[in-house]
Amino acid sequence: MAPVLPGSGRIPVTLLSGYLGAGKTTAVNRLLAAGAGRRLAVLVNDFGAVSVDAALIEARDATTISLANGCLCCAVSDDLGGALDGLAALPEPPEQVLIEASGVAHPARIARMAGGWPGFALDAVATVADPETLRARAADKFVGRLVRDQVEAADLLLLSRADLACPAAVADARALLAGLAPGRPVLDAAEAAAAPDLLLGPLVSGAQPRPLPGPAPHPAFSSRIWTPPGPIAPERMREILAALPAPIHRAKGFFVTPDGATMLAQRAGARVEIAPAAPAATAIVLIAAGPAETRENALPRAIAELDAAPFQDTRPGDAA
Amino acid sequence: MTDPSQITVFTARRIRTMNRSNPVATAVAVRDGRILEVGTPETLRPWLDAHPHTVDDRFRDAVLMPGFIDPHLHPTLAAILLPCHFITALEWRLPNRVSPPVTSQEAYMARLTEIEAGLADPAEPLITWGYHRIWHGAVTREMLNAVSSERPIVLWQRSFHEVVANDAAIDWMGLDRADLDRHPQVEPSTGRFFETGLSLAMRGMNPHLLAPQRFSGGLELVKQAIHWGGHTTIGELAYPLADDAGEWAALKAALDGDDVPFRTHFVPRGALRGAFDAQGADLARIDGYAARNTHRLRFGNGVKLFTDGGFFAELMQVQEPGFIDGHHGEWMMAPEAFERVARDLWHAGKRIHVHCTGDLGVELALDVLERLQFARPRFNHRFTIEHFGLSTPEQVRRIRDLGALVSANVYYVHELGEAYWQRSIGHERASSMSRLGALEREGVTTALHSDFTMAPALPLNSAWVAVNRVAESGAVIGAEERMSLDAAMRAITIDAAYVLGMENEIGSIRAGKAADFTVLGEDPWEVDPMALRDIPVLGTVFEGRHFPAAG
Repeated sequence: MAPVLPGSGRIPVTLLSGYLGAGKTTAVNRLLAAGAGRRLAVLVNDFGAVSVDAALIEARDATTISLANGCLCCAVSDDLGGALDGLAALPEPPEQVLIEASGVAHPARIARMAGGWPGFALDAVATVADPETLRARAADKFVGRLVRDQVEAADLLLLSRADLACPAAVADARALLAGLAPGRPVLDAAEAAAAPDLLLGPLVSGAQPRPLPGPAPHPAFSSRIWTPPGPIAPERMREILAALPAPIHRAKGFFVTPDGATMLAQRAGARVEIAPAAPAATAIVLIAAGPAETRENALPRAIAELDAAPFQDTRPGDAA
Repeated sequence: MTDPSQITVFTARRIRTMNRSNPVATAVAVRDGRILEVGTPETLRPWLDAHPHTVDDRFRDAVLMPGFIDPHLHPTLAAILLPCHFITALEWRLPNRVSPPVTSQEAYMARLTEIEAGLADPAEPLITWGYHRIWHGAVTREMLNAVSSERPIVLWQRSFHEVVANDAAIDWMGLDRADLDRHPQVEPSTGRFFETGLSLAMRGMNPHLLAPQRFSGGLELVKQAIHWGGHTTIGELAYPLADDAGEWAALKAALDGDDVPFRTHFVPRGALRGAFDAQGADLARIDGYAARNTHRLRFGNGVKLFTDGGFFAELMQVQEPGFIDGHHGEWMMAPEAFERVARDLWHAGKRIHVHCTGDLGVELALDVLERLQFARPRFNHRFTIEHFGLSTPEQVRRIRDLGALVSANVYYVHELGEAYWQRSIGHERASSMSRLGALEREGVTTALHSDFTMAPALPLNSAWVAVNRVAESGAVIGAEERMSLDAAMRAITIDAAYVLGMENEIGSIRAGKAADFTVLGEDPWEVDPMALRDIPVLGTVFEGRHFPAAG
């Protein structure tokens, strides 16, 4: 047996999807510039479109750029598995991977591929949409079906150019997204890329989840750590995470089941996953997006409700 | 020929020239690998009176045709596949073996057991190709374990989208059971790896499949198969597959020797694999290949592009009402990227070949061609729709109006016609796949290809499907879309040459062209159309030199 790493032992993979021109490359460039607060490897399809401040670059060759902030950007063509194997074999493997899917990729397919690859696990599918073009693209003769599939497959939706587009277009795009992907959080793409915890989720692969975002509140999101008061059955945890109120779009951390097993729990948008993990400190990081007042109100209220909830109420069949 | 500059007169029972001005002959004079004149011993007199010559009547009982041309196949892919053991639902005839039809699970397992017992080295992996659930039922890991618990056994499904492995093979692939248990597209209990799960299996199999010795052995089999089908010219229609340097070295070693009885016309990819969102055509790379040209291996003016996904994989883009099961096809490039690359190629005067398998893929190619014609009209551009799985009659007229050509894989009708009728797209559209009758009625120049190994590299077999449209069960499917015998024979000779831009060199038997002939045991115009594929190919003549069929 290989040594068991904290968490699931697998590197989380976040998939950035969206049709051509939706704003994926802009989001990647922003993320690379901001740094991710972790060793993040970004796999991009169009290496030529990557644009990073030269001062940030530590090393560069034909297919890889290493940045001083810990990010690594790699070109990947049609051999995604080979690229992932390459990352896993690095002396210091990345703590998370972001794959910028091609504009014509069906994200569900890449998510299955990357999430099922040995050593990796799916974190979330985030689909970028441009409010100015979304409606036309979703009705296009050739790519309409694909664009709708990309939105429907998303756990998180990112609206690009939300600051530049006219408010009517943004409202229209939000309505369209809500119709195609009900219940999926819609984030501002620029904010999400500038605040990696918002896009990528909290980093909990270490022994201790870090409190986020630090002493000063982040302008784009709020976070709190909730410590479950005792053991929780996996199915109950699934319900708890699924029922978190809307501004809380991500949750991730560890808990212990009634039979003493440590589990990794995470929610990304509407998707909740519970997986076996190596022993780790029990704590769940909650992240909320949206207007500051809404999210700052939502988090303490949610934690108060969580603390009051009847966790020992295990459901039949849960005793594993 | 001892003296290459001497004239040789080949006489034959009949020569089908595929030149409409002079369709039938009995003698052809050849010098330095080229045709001086074709006609009768009497009409050839002025040449023969003026120069020394010999008369060679070795073909006196045979029928000569122009050397067959397959304008679209992939030697590299075929070289990976041919070393596998074939167990196929439909008969596959290859130069070194015949894979008889195996259409039940019982027969499948019996054949697999027989192959396993015949392998001397107990460690040699047994990789078979051709497995298909429709015919062979669900073959599982346990059933393969019963054949051998020691030897890795892998069934590679006919369309390449699934494998089934025994426990020894799973170990051989270096896979951890925990990774299989959690994968949504691997079934550890049955040993089945499909779609994205297949990538895990291929990661373990590739070092074996791509091992240099196996690959060069595979190319040797490809060479034999191409000769055996009666070809003297093939088109490699998407160069490179992945690794230019390695592939070119291997192809040059295998296909450029003096013993090779055919030439290869290379059509490079307009965008390399993985360039899904390409900004434009990489013309420097594309034009640079020509510096490698040799006598037998040549890059020309053609460039390959793709619209939609594979036909056997059901990833073609289909217009409404789509697939019965509601799944969606895929684009190989973003439509905008396709248009950008096509525009660069169009303005550079290139001959554009576009892989289109579904009718929405065809629609995209034609929409783009129409805009290109509007922006900069070109005549004789030879924009070619490749494969042509699904189409509409209206698209056929538009193909004609826009001056485009078609290179079709008609074997789809034979292997998939009934399967797709029953479980993919229904009868109406399945029965009119590879709509060749409409192309002929509209006067669209059409070639037939195998896309080997998507279909057997046997031009007479392709012509047989085109003329008869006999599906797998033996029933005729889409009778109105049958092609005439004349058109089908043109589609494997002169019209195939036209699609490759080589019609002045090859494709018919006339003065000045390369002396490339296919030697047949019977005249295609004299046999029952249903017997076309059974006509013996006795060998070929490549540039005046006789290469008899082996055995």
